[in-house]
Amino acid sequence: MKLFKNFLISSVFVSLFSLVATGAKADCKARLGDFDWSSANIHTAITQFILEKGYGCEVSVTKGSTTPIMAAHYDKQLDVITEVWYDNIIANYEPHVEAGTIMNIGVNTPDSQQAFYVDKATADKYNLKSVEDMKKPEIAKLFADPEDPSKGRMTSCISGWTCYTVNLVKQIEYGLDKYYTNFDPGSGGALDAAIAGAFAKKQPIFTYYWAPTGLMGKVDLVRLEEPKYTADCWNDMSQVVEAIKADGPGAYRKTCACEYQDMALTKSVLTTWAKAHPKETEFLKKYTIPTATVNKMLAFYEDESGGDMEATAVHFLKNETMWKNWVPGDVAKKVSAAL
Amino acid sequence: MLKILKENKKQVFNLLLLFLFFYLLVMSYGASKYKPESVSELLNFTVWLNDWPKWLDLPLMNWINDWFKEFNEKYGIIFEVINNFLLGMVLGLKKILVKTPWPIVIILVTLLAYFSSGKKVGTTVFVFFCTFFIGFLHPRFWDKAIETTAIMLIGIFLCLIIGIPLGILISRSERFRNVLLPVLDTMQTIPSFCYLIPGIMLFGLGAVPAIIATFIYAVPPLVRLTDLGIRLVDKEVIEAADAFGASKKQKLLGVQLPLALPNIMQGINQCTMMALAMVVIASMIGTRGLGDEVLLGLQQLNVGRAAEAGIAIVLLAIVLDRITQAYGETLQERRAPAKKVKK
Repeated sequence: MKLFKNFLISSVFVSLFSLVATGAKADCKARLGDFDWSSANIHTAITQFILEKGYGCEVSVTKGSTTPIMAAHYDKQLDVITEVWYDNIIANYEPHVEAGTIMNIGVNTPDSQQAFYVDKATADKYNLKSVEDMKKPEIAKLFADPEDPSKGRMTSCISGWTCYTVNLVKQIEYGLDKYYTNFDPGSGGALDAAIAGAFAKKQPIFTYYWAPTGLMGKVDLVRLEEPKYTADCWNDMSQVVEAIKADGPGAYRKTCACEYQDMALTKSVLTTWAKAHPKETEFLKKYTIPTATVNKMLAFYEDESGGDMEATAVHFLKNETMWKNWVPGDVAKKVSAAL
Repeated sequence: MLKILKENKKQVFNLLLLFLFFYLLVMSYGASKYKPESVSELLNFTVWLNDWPKWLDLPLMNWINDWFKEFNEKYGIIFEVINNFLLGMVLGLKKILVKTPWPIVIILVTLLAYFSSGKKVGTTVFVFFCTFFIGFLHPRFWDKAIETTAIMLIGIFLCLIIGIPLGILISRSERFRNVLLPVLDTMQTIPSFCYLIPGIMLFGLGAVPAIIATFIYAVPPLVRLTDLGIRLVDKEVIEAADAFGASKKQKLLGVQLPLALPNIMQGINQCTMMALAMVVIASMIGTRGLGDEVLLGLQQLNVGRAAEAGIAIVLLAIVLDRITQAYGETLQERRAPAKKVKK
């Protein structure tokens, strides 16, 4: 029983582990929050390198999944988050901005995407271009859900994340729910593995996914068209989504649905930290990398760096010049010297 | 030459291991991207004594990745077949359990506890309340608990049909035990995500990789306790069986296994508990059940919801524990009536 209990406890914190790196001087201290997906890791690694080498900060990085890391940030235990999926956590995030504990300091990657995708081979063969094309029994059969063979399986977002409920409502509004299950893969790693596995075995897959991601650069997924994004439609749908999240699927009412807005990923800092570290905050405010460059870095990280995030950050700093605009000349010199 | 080899088996084996080590060193060096320009740099000790040199890196990652990719492409079909077979079992069992009205399930579980515990009223009543409280905590938990139980029972079934024969084998052969024990240690300690994620790529999301993971995690105690149980059977009893001219098979089935049964039951009990410990992990790869209620609660920072589901898992564990434990005890009492102590 003791083992069992320990196991339960440890599995709860399974994704929470921390890496501590110490800089040379401790003029400033920065506690970075990092997540369990690669694009966030890259931003954190680059930020860490510049803060350590350019500003002489003592940087510690804590890595975990969204909920615990953001909770620690709201609780003033983490100073800087380099990649916030703002639109997805807006309901939790905004109250803390209003209370003045944290600051949204702008975009780190413009135009990230979330959408429904189908693998290219199947999309070409059956001419699947939009969600409307998916609404045929013979198409649903291609993606048959082994646990519920009468329907196809749409591998969805992780249950508990907002996108899971959004996908649920979208399925109903698009009329996909009669043909497909809204299948919860359980975790981000499992979703990636399911997509990669389907491609390795050349099986059809119908899935929710997002970019920038390293996997997106390696597999050929076709984005299905959905009704165009409008704020009115999205806001109405969001109300239904929040109601379902609070009270269960029974709270559904007829609403409308449209595509995910191509959104901007943002950065977030503690207000107190920003006040104590104006120079560093200035740098973080200017920090932004286009999606294409992030995808390139992700591909480098996965295929060439041998899984070394620091090497990827160094590769970025060596080969791109955009970062020199983020920092004053003397800092840039120090960073270049450290490369 | 052969004679020398035979006499110094151990030394020869160790020598082979040493060769293997040097082979790996040279291989890694050859395959490394970071090897120095010239070999003479290797003699410049100050450079690489401070930090672990980058070229001293076993490319195990690449080997496993390449191997796994090829394996997945070539033998994916086999896993599909296993997948469909196991999934069919889970779905069948689930259908029966879900279709049975819940009061009947509770009554059946209670009856099972009553008879397995040797008609002890206390245990039976306790099990009844635990079972009732699973649904009482949240009506949704009942179906989820049944899904969890279905997956677990299949996992435990796999453990039984593979674990017990393995246990018998290693109790009979010292050499086989020496080989298998490190494997069991690895199975128990390697982090489950190391095999869960490849499991998804082979089997797809859902119940089957969870069953495989449950098997990997839960089978070692069963193998160990079966082995232990058989080896603990009194030598005199075996001698007596020998004296009666019992064959190997008769000895095993008629003497060793029955006498080892309390230990084996303990193994099954441990196996069940370990299997339950996998429930939350399993839900991280898209397995339905009580585990995803815990995860959902945590994702939404809803401590109460997560705790509620956690308690339901504990109740399920208690029910299964009491039933298997009680059965083991009953067996023990039956085997050794002379030592029976009144509690």
